[in-house]
Formats: sequence, structure tokens, C-alpha cells
Amino acid sequence: MNLKNLSIKRKLVLITMLTSGVAVVLSSAGFLVYDLISFRHSLSEDLITQAEIIGYNSAAAMAFKDESAATGTLSALRAKDDIVSAVLYTRDGKMFAQYVHSNTPQQNLPAPIPERGYHFEGSYLEVFQDVTLNGEPVGTLFLQSDMRRWNARAERYAMIFFSFVLVSGFFALLVSSKLQKLISVPILHLEDTMRMVSTTKNYEVRATKFYSDEIGRLIDGFNTMLSEIQQRDMAFHQANDELKTRTMELEGEIVRRKEMEKELVDAKLSADDANRAKSAFLANMSHELRTPLNAIIGYSEMLEEETNELGKVENVKDLQKIQGAGKHLLALINDVLDLSKIEAGRMGLHLETFNITQMVEEIVNTLHPTILKNSNTIQVRLAGELGVMQADITKVRQILFNLLSNATKFTDHGTISLDLDRSTVEGQDWIRFRVADTGIGITPKQKAKLFQEFTQADVSIARKYGGTGLGLAISYRYAHLMKGRISVESEPGRGSVFTVDIPSRVMTEAADAVQAEKIKDLPSAADQTKSNVDTILVIDDDSVVRDLMSRFLTKLGFRVVAASSGEEGLRLAKQINPFVVTLDVIMPDCDGWAVLNKLKADPELADIPVIMVTVVDNETMGFKLGASNYLLKPVDRDRLAILIQEHRVTRHSTVIAGMPSPASHRDASPETERVGSNGTAKRKKK
Amino acid sequence: MKKFGLLIVLFAMALGSHAEGVGSSDSSEYLIKAGFIYNFAKLVEWPTIAFPQPDSPIVIGILGDDPFGATLDRTVADKKIEGRAFVIKRLKWSDLKNFKDCNILFVSSSEKDHIDSIVDAVKFLPILTIGDTPGFAARGGIMNFVVEDNKVRFEVNLDAAKHADLTISSRLLTLARIVQQVRADGRKPE
Repeated sequence: MNLKNLSIKRKLVLITMLTSGVAVVLSSAGFLVYDLISFRHSLSEDLITQAEIIGYNSAAAMAFKDESAATGTLSALRAKDDIVSAVLYTRDGKMFAQYVHSNTPQQNLPAPIPERGYHFEGSYLEVFQDVTLNGEPVGTLFLQSDMRRWNARAERYAMIFFSFVLVSGFFALLVSSKLQKLISVPILHLEDTMRMVSTTKNYEVRATKFYSDEIGRLIDGFNTMLSEIQQRDMAFHQANDELKTRTMELEGEIVRRKEMEKELVDAKLSADDANRAKSAFLANMSHELRTPLNAIIGYSEMLEEETNELGKVENVKDLQKIQGAGKHLLALINDVLDLSKIEAGRMGLHLETFNITQMVEEIVNTLHPTILKNSNTIQVRLAGELGVMQADITKVRQILFNLLSNATKFTDHGTISLDLDRSTVEGQDWIRFRVADTGIGITPKQKAKLFQEFTQADVSIARKYGGTGLGLAISYRYAHLMKGRISVESEPGRGSVFTVDIPSRVMTEAADAVQAEKIKDLPSAADQTKSNVDTILVIDDDSVVRDLMSRFLTKLGFRVVAASSGEEGLRLAKQINPFVVTLDVIMPDCDGWAVLNKLKADPELADIPVIMVTVVDNETMGFKLGASNYLLKPVDRDRLAILIQEHRVTRHSTVIAGMPSPASHRDASPETERVGSNGTAKRKKK
Repeated sequence: MKKFGLLIVLFAMALGSHAEGVGSSDSSEYLIKAGFIYNFAKLVEWPTIAFPQPDSPIVIGILGDDPFGATLDRTVADKKIEGRAFVIKRLKWSDLKNFKDCNILFVSSSEKDHIDSIVDAVKFLPILTIGDTPGFAARGGIMNFVVEDNKVRFEVNLDAAKHADLTISSRLLTLARIVQQVRADGRKPE
């Protein structure tokens, strides 16, 4: 076992034993050696004395050559056990007498007359001593001692030494075994306590302090540490418990959230389903509602013209009422559909660069009959040359149209004014449209809800003035869609002022792409001169549409070729090379998208402008595939006429100004608006 | 130093023949006896009155025929005992009165007929008488050489020594044969 790993107890005992043992052994051995040396010295002194006596006693015998006397003298040594031999030498070195102890085996006696004095020869002490008679040397005496006294003494001492060491060791063991407890007991107690603490993790245990020595201080320190650990342990446990509670709470919360999330997902799924159903419903509805309206409006217009020509004036009014009701219904449907599109976030911007003044003139011209109807006058003030702006012209036009027709509607014998200017605010260029009237005005209470959809300022207003109640809401949303603002100031009874601010460069990512495409298309328009300038190709599977379009366009002076399917349309397009194609989307076999694709893919036909005329409300798709304009059925004939004229006369403006939108048919038609204004007033209240 | 070396040589010569026995020649016997005489002087104590001065020499008288020749002279030459040197005188019977000056009187065997007279003459005087004749000590001499087993030994007459006021060392006595005085006239010894 390694000495260093012994227990403290054993170490202490061992240290004490070793220390005392070393001390005892060293002191005893010192004493022993000293004693044995001095004893040996005294032995040699004794032997010398002995030799002197023997020499004295034998001197006379030697002097008188009396060998027997000398032998007799030597024989006296018999009493001395330790002297094993004695020899007398004459002066010339001859043996004179000798004595050998009876117990001693015969041995070689030394060569005579070496050095005088004593010396140790092996285990023997030998003395050579001059024998003198009255100071005169007569011979030499040799004495040899076997030092048995010394040996006996050494043996005895060894015995005493060992027993002393044993006895003292025993007592040292007894004492140290008792005394080591002074140190080992507190340490062992400390160790026990420490082990107990570390195994049971019970930090309430304290070690007992025995004495105020270093170990006592160690125990104090240990206890202090324990207290600290205990406190920390408690704090830790508290924190842990708290953490557990929190974790459980959190887990509960997570479970609840997950449930909620699941519910939400379910709700979203069902909402999505509902939304899809709604979208499908709306699409269906728009299709289903427009198709009959298309017929109603189209044929009533035709009838009205024919009746006029026939001079049956009494029927014209009725036909105009049918027409007005149909157009109102169409406006209502379009408003609702637009709003739902905006709400669904599916209303996109179709940006183009246009001349502001030109646009304003168009609107004012369109609205002019309506303005005159209520005996109002209109003033348009332009602050300098306004130039062009980049925006969705359809939506800008609709905003202004709504505001101006509202102003007209709620003003009687008053003045409508439109002010335009361009300003720079916060590093951005703005175009401001300001529409003021001297009409009935708006109360603050009405103003708060003015731009909310389906909110009539007053139920009585609707009855009195009509309207869908959606015009301002749509205008508000269009302005915001273009990062613009719309606000109103009004005083009941004195008139209202609507202010619209639109950035002169409306920017969206999609808009850039569209515009880039437009610019790219510009040069290609020049090539259209070679096409047949009077022929229009109408592609539609619906015979009613083909019939109405043909009759209307022929009346305008164009030659119309109609195709009832996509394939036929493509074939005719190659044959007659029309200057414009109108294209329906929903057709059996080869639909309008496919036809458009093929037209644009054919190098000979790619330059022919295509005007989409459909109930499918997806102008983005149309423009993406290369359509020049997008009209929704029922077709606004005036709008269509303008577009076709543009394509024929100014091919460049085809690109810039001829961009229709799903709602554009309403804007461009004074008749439509007139009827819409009469039938469904955007409410304003006096 | 030189002297000491010479002394050792001489002494060695004096004792050298001892092992060979005394009987082989007179010279070796008397060489031994001369040494004995010298050694006797060491072990015998004279009264103070025996010497006039503290450093007065020890006078050895040889009475009768000198058996030593030069041996005794050589033996004691340059020797001193307690500060006293040796002087050797050779005497004849007729010089009886000069005996008193001696401290040691060796009575040669040639004087065996005059022993009693000689003993009487020095009786009560501090003179160590040494005989070389059998019975000398018994007849009143203090010491006497005898040869036993071919070895030189000596006798001592303690009474005679006492009369002469001489103190003989016990060390000498242990080696000696002590003899009682036997008067020739038949008287008991005193």
C-alpha cells in the first residue's frame, strides 16, 4: 500500500512512531556506541594496567632468568577469563615464558616486539609492554584479551537496546494512538460530514467544531460554505420550481396556441374555401349578369337608333329608359365587382404615361351634358403646363369622374370647379386635383363615414339622388393604391372641396415591367400601314355579340369580318390581314388566350393590335400575352369606337392612351354616365 | 645514545648464552652471576648510613680469586642505580679491614675456609654479602649463588639481612630460596 495514501490516523501514528523511534534509536545508539567505545578504552586501560602488574611481578624473574617463577606469575592470569594468552619475551626477542588460557585453542602467538602499547587485532585486544626492573628494560610482556567482557557488554546492551526500543515503541504507540485523535477525529468527522452531504445532497447538515485550531477553522469554513451552498441550493430549487411552473404554463399555453392555431388553420381553410366559392360565384355572376345585360343594352341602343330614324319619337323615351336601367345595373355590378376585387387585394395597377391636360379635357367633355342638366357651370383651371404623369390612367380618370359627377349631382344652379397643379413635397412630385362645388355640402358626421363603402350619408339621399354608394369608397381606395391621398373639406349648405393628390410617377414593380413592355412595342406600330386599314376581324363564339359588333362597326364605316371560333379567326386573320382584331376569351376548343398567343407568335400577324372583348376579368393575363386593349362585356360602344379610331389614325397613341381597363367603358361614355348619374347617385347631402 | 647502544649490546652479550646453560663455561656462568649481582643491587635497600654521600657509588668488593675477570666490570660499567655508580674493588683476606668500605661483598669460592670469619667480620654492618659457595647463606651470609639443574639460583638468609639492616625486595625474595642460619658452633640462630 502506498504510504502516502494511508489514513490520517495511521499517518499520525506512523509519524509519531517514526519520530520517536528515530530519536530513541539515535540517542540509544549514540549512548551505546559511546559506552562501548569508552568501555573498550577502559578495557585496554585495564589490560595495560594488568600488563604493568604482570610486568612488574615478572620483572625480577626475568632479570634472574627464573622461568618457572615467571610462568608462575603469568599463571596468576588464570583468574582473568578474558586474557587468553600472555607471553614474556627476553630483550633479544626470545620467548621466556608463556601462558595460554585453558579454554583457548592453541593459536599462533604474535611475532615478538612489535610496537609498544595496545592495539586491536581482529577480535582481540593485544598489549605489548616493556618489562623493566628499576627502570631498566629486561624484556617484553605480551597480553592478549579476547574482549569477552566487551562482547558480553555489547550483547547485553543490544538486548537492552532492543527491549528499550520495543517498550518505548509500545508506549509511543499507546500515547500516539490516543493523541492522534486530537487531530484525526475532527478531520474524520469533517470527512464523514462531507461525504454525507455529497451523497445525500442534504445541505442542512453541519460539522461539529471540536477545537479552535486550524482544523476548527477549517470546519468553520466548511460550515460557512455549506450554508452558502444551502442558500444557493434553495434559491436554485425555487428557481427550478418556478421554471417548471413556467414551463408547464408555457406548455399549456403552447398546447392552447396549437389548438388555436389548428382552429385558425381550419378557419382559414374554410375561409379560403368560402373565398374561392365567393370568387367563383362572383366570376359566374359577372358572366351571367353581363351576358344578358349585353343583349339588353346593345339591342335597346340599336332599337333607339332605328326608332329615331323611323320617326317614332314616342317609343324613343321608353327605349332610353330601358337603356338607362341596363347601364345603371351594369354600373352597379361593376362597382360591386371592383370593390370586392380591391378588398381581395387583387386589383392591380396598370401604369402608363399620359398627358394630364388631354385626360382632363376628355372627362370634362364627357361630363358636360350632365353639368348642364342641373344648370351648373364648370371652371377648369390649370396651373401652367402640367405635362405628363405616370399612373393608372383608368383609375385616375374614374376618381375624377366620380368626384365631378358627384359635384354635379348635388349642386343645382351652381359652379363646379376643377383645379390642377403640380408641386414637390418631400422630394416627390405630386399632381393635385381639386374638385369644388357650391352644392349642399357635407356635415362632419357624414364626413367621418364618407369613404366607407355601402354607407349612404342618409337613406333619404339614396332615394332622392340614387347611386350605388360605392363611388367615393372606390375612389378612396384607388387613390391609396397609387400611394396617393384623398381628402374632403365641406360646410353644409355652402359646398364641398375634394382634394386628390397622386404622385406624378406612381411606382410599382409590376408597373415598371408593363411600361417597359409598352415602350418596346412602340416602333413596331409603324409597320401597320401595310395592313388592311378598313377591315376589322371580330372573333367571338356568341352570335349575339358577332351580330351587335358587326352592326355597330359597320355603321361606323368599317368592314367587319366575323369568326365564330379561334381556328376560324386565325385562318381569317392570315387571309384578310385586318388592322384590328377583337377577341373573346371563352370559346370552345381554341380559347381566346390560345388565339392571342398564336397571333403574337406569327411574325406576319404579331403587329396587328388585338382588343380583348370578354366577360373574363383578367386584363393582366391579356396584356401579358400581348393584347393592346382590354374591354369587358357588355361592350361600351363609344369606348370601342374611340379605341379603334386610335388604332387606325395614330398608331403611337395606340400604345400610350389606348389602354383600357375593366372599368374604362364607364369613364369614356357620356351617355353611360349620364344614365348612371340619373339612376344611381353618388350620394351627397344637403 | 651511543652509550645506550653499547650497553644493550653488552647486556645482550651478557645474557646471550643463558639459554645454553651455565655449565658450558665459567665465563657464561659468571656473566649471569655478574648480571645477578647488578640486579641484586637494584632490589636491595641499604640504610642511609651505608653511604657517606647521596651520590656515593656502590662499592662492590670481590674477595678472593676473581671468577668474573672483566665481566662484572663490564656489566656495571656506566650503570647507575638511584644516582649511584659502581666501584669494584678486588680484596684479599688480608684486607679484612677494608671490607667495611664495601656495600656488596662477593666472597669467592676460594675463600670457603674463611667464611665464618668473614661473616663475623661484617656482621651488623650494612654490607650485602654474596657467597659462591654452598652453605654460605646458612652459615651467616646474606645471599649465596647456587646452580640447580644447570641454572643459576640464589639463597637468601633473611636473619642475616636483618642483622645487616638491609631490606630485600619481596620481588627478589619470591625468586630466592630462603635458608635458616645454621651455626657451626651449634648455637641457635638469633
